[in-house]
Amino acid sequence: MPVRLTTRRLSMAEAMRVLARPGLGGIALFAGCVRPDPGPGGRVVALDYEAHGPLAVGALRALEREAVRRFGPGRFVLWHRLGRLPVGEVSVIVGAACGHRAEAFSAARFLIERLKVTVPIWKTERARPGRRPRRSRARRAGRSAG
Amino acid sequence: MTILLFASAREAVGHPRLGWAVPPDGTPADRLVRELAERFPKVRPILRRCRFVRNGTILDDLHTPIRPGDEFAVHPPYGGG
Repeated sequence: MPVRLTTRRLSMAEAMRVLARPGLGGIALFAGCVRPDPGPGGRVVALDYEAHGPLAVGALRALEREAVRRFGPGRFVLWHRLGRLPVGEVSVIVGAACGHRAEAFSAARFLIERLKVTVPIWKTERARPGRRPRRSRARRAGRSAG
Repeated sequence: MTILLFASAREAVGHPRLGWAVPPDGTPADRLVRELAERFPKVRPILRRCRFVRNGTILDDLHTPIRPGDEFAVHPPYGGG
């Protein structure tokens, strides 16, 4: 299925199977993953993804149609994960299978950049509040280290 | 009518969905947004950056009347990926 919003884990191998067809000589796959960025509330440990479901699916389908119009007949996937995703999880996969690598790279770049600004999906950071550095045993014992 | 709230707008209001009374001939969308900000002051700064959606269509004209039975969604800036 070219467009997918799901709480299930996303698979690059499955995306590859959906995209690969004889005659489509270039396949570009992009996966976005949750990073442990520092934030105002502490280091990010997870992201909560949500979507305005019907509108998000419609916007993803519109992007797929636009990719066909711009890059010619090929195959495209736009998959986005929803729910709470811990650091390291794949949150999004976009892929493009085209006749040659140039269109495939361009199409995949187009899909991820447009997805970010046109599809009603949001993420909320879940952070672990920062801890004060642990004091060394020497300092706790009243001795200076070094 | 129903107001749907997402992400930062939902967290500021404290509810994902609100029932809202409007007159039979409707209330302009911008007035509805002002009423929402008055009732939930924490969402006011977020609303300035939002898009608004009536029955699945993004509103270009905020004078569009929102009528009883409509679904009005508040979309903060998107953040997929």
